[in-house]
Amino acid sequence: MRKTFFALCSLLLAGISLTAQRGGGPAHPAIGNREAIAEGEKLYNETCTACHGKDGTGGELGPPVASQNRRYLRRTDNELFDTIKNGIAGTQMPPYGGQFTDDQMWSITAYIRGLRGTAIDTPAAGSAANGESIFWGKGTCGTCHMVKGKGAILGPDLSNLGGTRKVQNIFDALTKEQHKIAADGGTHDVTLLPITTYQPVRVTTRDGKVIEGILKNEDSFSLQVLGRIDLNLYRFRRADVKVYYDPNSVMPHDWDKRLTPAEFQNLLAFLTRLYVPPPPAPPARGGGVG
Amino acid sequence: MTFATRAALLLSLVALVVAVGRAQVTDQDLLNPDPSDFLLYSGSYDSQRHSLLKEINTSNVGTLQAKWIFHLTGAKDLEAPPIVYKGVMYVGQYNRVHALDAATGRLIWEYMRQPPSVGWQRGIGIYGDMVYMVAQDSALIALDRRTGNPLWEARPSQAGKRFQGPMPFAAKGMIIMSGSGQGGGFIEAFDARTGQPKWHWNTIPAPGEPGHETWMGDSWKNGGGPVWVSGSYDPQLNLLYWGTGQPSPDFVGDNREGDNLYTDSIVALDIDTGKLKWHFQNTPHDVHDWDSNEMPILLDAPFNGQPRKLLLQANRNGIYYVLDRTNGKFLRGVPFVSKVDWLSGLSPEGRPILTPGHEPTVQGSKTCPSTAGATNWPSPAYNPDTKLFYLIVQEGCGVTYRSTTNFRPGQGGSGTAYMESSEDRERWQLYVRAIDALTGKKAWDYEQVSSFHYGPGLLSTAGGLIFAPEQQGMFTVLDAKTGKSLWNFNTGALITAAPTTYTVDGRQYVALASFSNVIAFALPDVK
Repeated sequence: MRKTFFALCSLLLAGISLTAQRGGGPAHPAIGNREAIAEGEKLYNETCTACHGKDGTGGELGPPVASQNRRYLRRTDNELFDTIKNGIAGTQMPPYGGQFTDDQMWSITAYIRGLRGTAIDTPAAGSAANGESIFWGKGTCGTCHMVKGKGAILGPDLSNLGGTRKVQNIFDALTKEQHKIAADGGTHDVTLLPITTYQPVRVTTRDGKVIEGILKNEDSFSLQVLGRIDLNLYRFRRADVKVYYDPNSVMPHDWDKRLTPAEFQNLLAFLTRLYVPPPPAPPARGGGVG
Repeated sequence: MTFATRAALLLSLVALVVAVGRAQVTDQDLLNPDPSDFLLYSGSYDSQRHSLLKEINTSNVGTLQAKWIFHLTGAKDLEAPPIVYKGVMYVGQYNRVHALDAATGRLIWEYMRQPPSVGWQRGIGIYGDMVYMVAQDSALIALDRRTGNPLWEARPSQAGKRFQGPMPFAAKGMIIMSGSGQGGGFIEAFDARTGQPKWHWNTIPAPGEPGHETWMGDSWKNGGGPVWVSGSYDPQLNLLYWGTGQPSPDFVGDNREGDNLYTDSIVALDIDTGKLKWHFQNTPHDVHDWDSNEMPILLDAPFNGQPRKLLLQANRNGIYYVLDRTNGKFLRGVPFVSKVDWLSGLSPEGRPILTPGHEPTVQGSKTCPSTAGATNWPSPAYNPDTKLFYLIVQEGCGVTYRSTTNFRPGQGGSGTAYMESSEDRERWQLYVRAIDALTGKKAWDYEQVSSFHYGPGLLSTAGGLIFAPEQQGMFTVLDAKTGKSLWNFNTGALITAAPTTYTVDGRQYVALASFSNVIAFALPDVK
């Protein structure tokens, strides 16, 4: 199994070509440069982790600089570089311009850019067209997942999978039992989010009715569930029901065995290219609304 | 005497007369708080967060209603318990104060300092005729409590130090502030009227001071021991009780062999001089960032048949401590969460007996509780009727990492990180837990479903209630005896502040900051 895993990894890596920033050329040669990224990782680990966490996942004092479900205030490479160099006034983010050279700060920028990068920046090798037919056919992925309005709704919509997940996350989701992404360590979430773990539950009502489904949200007093069979939304008062939290994901996790190596690789090629580009920026002023 | 000086003299005499006849927050008000007001971060100097108000009680809390909402435009992550004095509420965070009619939520005045800030800060202090705000640029600012007019500013008296987020703490004519910076954490007292510094105590002892020998070589210079929550005060013993934070760097200990005093400690300072009376170090030579800043509760109670002046603290390291607060003597220490694996027990002096394998590593090392702690700064409460200690606990373990490179001096907590346990089935979970205040034995648990990290503090009332907001936005009231939920309200945003209670025109209110709003609740109008 371990051997297969490494073989697959090297197949994946063979398909990787680090690309520049989406929608424009690189702001600096360090961006996408492996050596610069390695240097940036070293500097990041020595300097930034106490506040921003390992791998940019956030710490006690600072926000995550690279994590799922986050809208970044500073998105371009130039903005990232400027933040490192000059700090952010009115916050605890200090300027590092006096401590590092510009090249070093560009290396840190390149590393953070790499952390933020997702599968679409480094899609897996293989035939995406063949992968698409496996997705809808032998792979039966479309019986739970939706892509661009087609498919089913029990699992996550994968239309922008390549724009939101890394290649390794997608690989893990297909092959590992425990592939859920743990919460960021040490961060304060900024908003209340629905539960995104697709936790399977079995709810038994007082009159003995059993509803199996996916937990959409819950608190100490209520549950919101998507029924697995009828795909209806259910609301329950916790006091009225018994809830069993199934530790096993609905998602099978042995796709590397269910498919041939070539099929699996092609499926990855398809999944890592699923991408919805951000909408174009609105015009600077006015919208013709009056 | 010229006309001008005569006029000035006359004016100042008039001002004096007005001042004498005007209500203001006195030492007596703080020593024996009127339950109608809520004047301190923890409500009272013993930090029990227990109000004697009982108009809202177990028999009627089910009818509690929201009465008003005040929105702090641009604010977020509010951590301030609203302060209330004679029907006026003061609430804010760094660089902003809002004074509100506590019955209606209407704005009376506001003070904004540039630039706008959303940094975590724990609210507004009050004393005499002033309210006290902390600025993000490390200034303590006194404002006239009736208008918000700025009166004076003070800064830490030692270079390189910065105030952190605690609510300014008023006692005995002083405002007690704290923070950290170059050379480590500190506590400093300022004259409440003038802002003149009175004393300054550093958490890291300098060469020649007792405790300095607990730092290898020059490692003491790297700082640590930040003081980012206020504490408690015993006016009879004349002592302040404050918790201190972790040594620096947080997860790398090999450059700082020794106990690293006075980090991760509870310290007792003479309020007049700032001199250290005693200390108790919860976690010597900490490598897990287990700050001891959790609020200590003061309680006078018989212990082993003897009347004792006690100090109670549920520590981030997973141990519930009972100390004698006259001398810091360790009386009891028991785990208050299900998994505490870094120690096998405590010595008779309360020193942890370590189990091996919990030093942070490059690959990550698992320890229970996590770095975020078995509990953290959200305030606990004590109810003298049930004799239970109520707290927010975070069940779960964590993984701590250190960098491959060595620590570099002057770089704070460089090269370190921590995470929630990567094992999905060990996800952190918050509970409200009631434990016997003297034995630490669990009485009941209330699971805060969907709340996984930190969260708001608690409020106990003589109405038999525990007001227990939940991190994920629910404001819940529990029966103090059983932990059964009696009422709840979805505030719609994350809650990271403790509630307060007060009366206006004889009617009891409970107020809570939720993310960027302050919401006040009361019983329905009697028709």
